[in-house]
Amino acid sequence: MSRFYVDGNSARFTRKDVCLVDMELFGGEKVEDLEPRRLFPVSGRMKYITLLDSEGKEHAIIRDVETLSPESKEVILECLEEYYLIPKITALLERTDKYGVLKWTVQTDRGVQQLRIRNRNSDIKQLYDGRILVRDSNDNRYEIPDFRKMDRDSLKLLYCDI
Amino acid sequence: MKVESVLTNKEVPQVITDAFNECIQPGEQLLFVVVGDLSLEARYGESALGVTGDRFMVYDPSREERVKTYAHSDVADAKVKRMYGNARLRVNFKDGSKEDVFRFTYAVATLADMAASFIENISSGKDPESEYEVVAATYEKLMNVCPRCGRTLLHPGAECINCQSKGKIAKKLLKYIKPEVKTLVICLFLSLLTTAVALAPPYMTGKLVDQVLPEKNRAALLWIVLGLLGTYIFQHFIGALRGFLLRRSGDRIVLSLRNDVYKKAQHLPLRFYDKTSTGSVINRISGDTNTLQAFMLRISQEVVVQFFLGIGIIIIMLVLNWKLTLLSLIPVPLVVVGAKIFGRKILPFYRRTWRRWAGVVSVLTDTIPNIRVTKSFAGEERTVNKFNSYNQEWLKTDIGAAKISTVFPHIVSFFVTCGTLLIWAVGGNWVISGAGGLSPGLLVAFLSYASMFYGPVNFFAYLNDSYQQALSSAEKVFDILDAEDETDEAKGNCPPIRGKIEFRNLNFSFDRTKKVLSDVNITIEPGEIVGIVGTTGSGKSTLVNLLMRFYDNYEGEILVDGVNTKEIDLQYFRSQIGYVQQDPMMFSDTVYNNIAYGKPDAHVEEVIHAAEVANAHEFIARQPDGYDTMLGERGVGLSGGERQRISIARAVLKNPALLIFDEATAAVDSETENLIQEAIERLISGRTTLMIAHRLSTLRKANRIIVVDQGKIIENDTPEALMALKGKYYKLVQIQTMADQLAKSKQEENFE
Repeated sequence: MSRFYVDGNSARFTRKDVCLVDMELFGGEKVEDLEPRRLFPVSGRMKYITLLDSEGKEHAIIRDVETLSPESKEVILECLEEYYLIPKITALLERTDKYGVLKWTVQTDRGVQQLRIRNRNSDIKQLYDGRILVRDSNDNRYEIPDFRKMDRDSLKLLYCDI
Repeated sequence: MKVESVLTNKEVPQVITDAFNECIQPGEQLLFVVVGDLSLEARYGESALGVTGDRFMVYDPSREERVKTYAHSDVADAKVKRMYGNARLRVNFKDGSKEDVFRFTYAVATLADMAASFIENISSGKDPESEYEVVAATYEKLMNVCPRCGRTLLHPGAECINCQSKGKIAKKLLKYIKPEVKTLVICLFLSLLTTAVALAPPYMTGKLVDQVLPEKNRAALLWIVLGLLGTYIFQHFIGALRGFLLRRSGDRIVLSLRNDVYKKAQHLPLRFYDKTSTGSVINRISGDTNTLQAFMLRISQEVVVQFFLGIGIIIIMLVLNWKLTLLSLIPVPLVVVGAKIFGRKILPFYRRTWRRWAGVVSVLTDTIPNIRVTKSFAGEERTVNKFNSYNQEWLKTDIGAAKISTVFPHIVSFFVTCGTLLIWAVGGNWVISGAGGLSPGLLVAFLSYASMFYGPVNFFAYLNDSYQQALSSAEKVFDILDAEDETDEAKGNCPPIRGKIEFRNLNFSFDRTKKVLSDVNITIEPGEIVGIVGTTGSGKSTLVNLLMRFYDNYEGEILVDGVNTKEIDLQYFRSQIGYVQQDPMMFSDTVYNNIAYGKPDAHVEEVIHAAEVANAHEFIARQPDGYDTMLGERGVGLSGGERQRISIARAVLKNPALLIFDEATAAVDSETENLIQEAIERLISGRTTLMIAHRLSTLRKANRIIVVDQGKIIENDTPEALMALKGKYYKLVQIQTMADQLAKSKQEENFE
């Protein structure tokens, strides 16, 4: 069984709803109400976007968002932006470690947030490219895009946990 | 309806209360408020959903019109749409329009689920009073958290297992030292004795320099040499004895600690292992317990000895010459301050080194047991590279730690050496000038005591290092020891089990990101054979995992014979279930012990009978070592079908009231499948049986089929009724029949 891959030459997309798009193939076929989702939400955010219908059935995969026409690209990115909420932590403002619960107050691109981390060993994952992925006790996700670029005070607090 | 107070998940900000109050009409009352954490534009900030008997209102700071109200009667349906890291309450209205009214993170997703269901039920005309009771119960359950650490408590008013056990590390470790306290006191006494004896040689040396050598007194020289010999013999003999006793006690301490951690690891819920790698658990049991043992011995022995040694030396030094004593104390504050800074700097390094090492161990535990897979895919090189890269990461971090931990001792030694130089310079000058009544012998003796004194100073400076190392290990060990056990609040309650199973309003998600089961309601009568079918990932296995109480954090109830399974003794309950998996796990033991695993005291003939029922006896008898055949790790040496039959024999021997087969014949050939099927049919007669199966042919004995799709029960009836319904089950049967026919015709073609 082979997947159906699409790119800018074979398909265009129009926004249907907050997280839904319609796909029109250049052959004329139209598929409505598809939800774009990342197949690699951690490692490849602009590539391999699957398009699922309400039953969870895949209709196509966008190999690379960059190959789409500017309008289609914008539509897909807007949908993904709505679907995936992974606030980017820009600074670590405060850190407490009491009663076995680690609390961080962080500045993110979505505002200030206080999060509770159950287990620093499994909930803070450092990747090789300098990214750090954080999961809080409510299973919300956060990302530090490159910890090496954080300010000194944040790094000082961060180094206690990574 | 009237309620005493508005239910909330946290204090409602004044601005929201005011905004809601402006919208409330006379006679209307807020029933509950869900304080959210995101705006519709996904910015952090306080938003809220307030619900009354007739309407609901949403406060969103990102909207111009901050509060929007909606009537329950206008709602067609209300659902929570879970996305990635956030969710929305989506309402479809009766006029055909739809709107995302409320956005939030997973922190309030469960409450939003509850609100959605309340709104939908009220709009469909259900009784508000009883719906409100469900809401109140959800709030009570969710708000039942520890005020200190925020973790959910087992029941209202329960002590927080987490905080209750978070005492001082030393206090916790004391439990392990206690049984060895006698031996440790003896060792301590022996240490003090040797320490006291160790104080004599410098004094004797001083006498030698000042009196015996200048006076050329050979007899006194001989006595002093013999005296020194005596102290050395005493010191080393007692030292050896103490060393042995200490080692024995240390081994016992680590044994008991290791046993406790292992025992605890056995009783941890599966969700602990979902998030923690087995490599890191092994690392804690094997490595960290040793670090803690070393620290415990250091604390219980060396600290006392070094403390008294330091005090003893200081007294002698003060008696010999108080001025020089004060001089020799100059480096001490520097050492103490340095140690404090060092401790602060080194702890993160130790934590990091530990994490990197756990990574190395996890590669080991992943790859060594899977060596067959590695070899079959020629993956040796890749595995070696992966191991090397993890090892390199460990090396980098450890070198970082080494920089600090090696530089610091040298700085201390430098200050200590400077202290000795100071004594030489000042004391030597006094000897030359004859000031202060200081003789050369006294100076030599003083210098010996001074270098001995820096021993305890060094020790206490480095104690912080080993404390930080132990702290890092203790965190990992107590992470297991303090973790919540599988909940078993009904110990001792062992009602007889007939086999009626009920799933009531069951909802479950592993990590709040996606609901794995939703609104499951099934009743299975005693003795029924129920087939559970559905596509991969539909939630079939999760259903039986919840029945077996591998996960307890679900919403709704699971009842067996009318009793909530959470109210039945956990071990007893599981002992009443025979569970046969697709890939049965075997232990590295004999075939006999593998069958008798669930009933170690079984009679030999019972085991043979169980093997017979499971169609396993014949192939076991053919083995040269029969039932004594030793299986390799995870059953190496047996085929998949043979392992499966042994696992069925295990279930037969257990004589369970409930039986669960999770794809028991999925991984075997047709001939073996028949043998297994035969064994299963013998086993299930008269017992409530749940059979998860991909191959529908294995469900020929089932008198009911449940079809699970995307976590929901979509069909539930007899096989005949479902075939007549022509729904999902019918389609599955059609697809499989076609596939079987295709396979058969291909076989025939090849045969011709």
